[in-house]
Amino acid sequence: MAACAKGLDKCIILLRSCRNVQFQSERFLSTSMWRQADSEPPKFVPPSKPVIIDKTQTLASLRKFLSPEFIPPQERTSPLKFSIERKDMIRRRKVLNIPEFYVGSILAVTMADPNASGKINRFVGICIQRSGKGLGATFVLRNIINNQGVEICYELYSPRIQKIEVLKLEKRLDENLMYLRDALPEYSTVDPEMKPVPFSPTGEVPFNKMKVRMRPKPWSKRWERPKFNIQGIRFDLCMTPKQMEFVQKFAQPWLEYDMLKEYDTSKLEEKILTEVQQEISK
Amino acid sequence: MAAWGCRFLLQRGTRLLSPPALAESPVQLVAFVRTVKTTTWFDEHLTEDNQKFMRNSMAEEYKEQTVAKLNPLKDEPWPRHEWTEGSRRVGLVAVKLGMAPIWTKTGERHTVTLLQVQDCHVIKYLSKEEYDGHTAALVVGGKNVSPFHKSEERMEMFMNAGVPPKQKTTTFKISDNAIIKPGTPLYAAHFRPGQYVDVTARSIGKGFQGVMKRWGFKGQPATHGQTKTHRRPGASGPGGDPAKVFKGKKMPGLMGNIFVTAHGLKIWRVNTKLNVLYVHGSVPGHKNCVLKVRDTVLPTRSSTLVHPPFPTYFTEEEGDLDEDLYDENLFVHTDPSLTLA
Repeated sequence: MAACAKGLDKCIILLRSCRNVQFQSERFLSTSMWRQADSEPPKFVPPSKPVIIDKTQTLASLRKFLSPEFIPPQERTSPLKFSIERKDMIRRRKVLNIPEFYVGSILAVTMADPNASGKINRFVGICIQRSGKGLGATFVLRNIINNQGVEICYELYSPRIQKIEVLKLEKRLDENLMYLRDALPEYSTVDPEMKPVPFSPTGEVPFNKMKVRMRPKPWSKRWERPKFNIQGIRFDLCMTPKQMEFVQKFAQPWLEYDMLKEYDTSKLEEKILTEVQQEISK
Repeated sequence: MAAWGCRFLLQRGTRLLSPPALAESPVQLVAFVRTVKTTTWFDEHLTEDNQKFMRNSMAEEYKEQTVAKLNPLKDEPWPRHEWTEGSRRVGLVAVKLGMAPIWTKTGERHTVTLLQVQDCHVIKYLSKEEYDGHTAALVVGGKNVSPFHKSEERMEMFMNAGVPPKQKTTTFKISDNAIIKPGTPLYAAHFRPGQYVDVTARSIGKGFQGVMKRWGFKGQPATHGQTKTHRRPGASGPGGDPAKVFKGKKMPGLMGNIFVTAHGLKIWRVNTKLNVLYVHGSVPGHKNCVLKVRDTVLPTRSSTLVHPPFPTYFTEEEGDLDEDLYDENLFVHTDPSLTLA
């Protein structure tokens, strides 16, 4: 191969020198000159192996992230109960990889289902709600299949769950997207054959500031009421300014000053996070 | 400790309570007047620091005593007998922690209640004659508390057993071969996964409730010409012939705050280190309430109780128990995910 290339080089030089071509490669000339001067077969240096980055593969997140079901609710239950549950949750997480995800992320869940063909069922949808604390934590996936809205509530720690994949990691404007039931169907439609969208394992989680357009009223709930505090709806399209003003009548601005409802979990969260990380790395 | 007493007052005419007149006059009227007999509080003559010190030191002392099992069992333990069919074991006093889900190996989800056995000790043995003439009984207490608010009689009972004072004491009827020496600690491993238990506790008080909530009456329609009659009981019985309301008629009244027993609850899992029982379903009482757990009395469930730890579980003899004992049908979270093929 090398000899062949050398011969070819010589031929080209001959041709070029004959024709006195101006636009010749500097490099070609110099190497060939050097080679001719040395007259030794050069050692073959293989090019460095290209690093192929498969962008369809999702990496495990490296962010500091504590799943919300680890944070105990504010109540008079003994902390021992939560620590007992946490142990079981960590044990389960060692067997099943439960990735970091948020409300608004698109997930695919594979679950053992006695009624499905092949006893296995894979469902792709947008996560519209995360609820429950401890072992009983759940999340709801929504999709539209054959023009029919479908929602499945999964138990995060159920042994029937085989695999949870994050197809698209992002956050939305709200902590609860139940209003997608009353929004136009395009906002909850996800392709069941969707390929995972790559995301960076570090840094900020992508934030989708999309606002949805709603179907005409009546809705399943009065989403415009201040108690829901919903940012992700285009209210200007479905309500008059007068109606918007009227709705403010139901606001309860004094509730934010209720000191009994204050619950600062930052310290607790850190403590639990270190505990969980230690246990999982064991 | 305040105790209410009453004393007789002799009253004469319009001149009330005049001591010189009292002695001579005939008794005209007798009235009761409340008098307050106060006894000393333990912290009456203590400074705030000393009170704090007393409380902390006592709590620590009791904790150490329980952990080290420093029960001054003065002489040899009582002779033990073999398990026979129809023997009745002692039960436990436990604290309700809350509820959690569990899954079986077939993928079904159940809810369980977590009961923790905290500082449970046998307090006293009551022989047949002492108790009711039919069966022997054991007094069992659970959950250490401050000694400063217990009466002297109760404190004496705990002192005799050599254990710290308990928040709750209950009596268990037992067969004669199941007697245990007072002062013996009882653990959650007394019960084993797969067996069934009865749980007794005081239910959550609901206050004065109407007939619909209290007894599940249907009430009356909301519309169709009803006047002031939507949640009322309706008739209370036939007129004419009996011409009375029968005793025990279901009526409005105080609901809850009574002792309720949940029968035949399966034990799914036992944590021997933290002494936690995982009992199927819900049990009466609020969170953190102290309740009574015993082997079930249901005849259809008694077959699950074959050769249990008898008369109870002793750590010295069976020290090699696993940290967690599971029912055979229970999914353990260290197992791989289920495939329902």
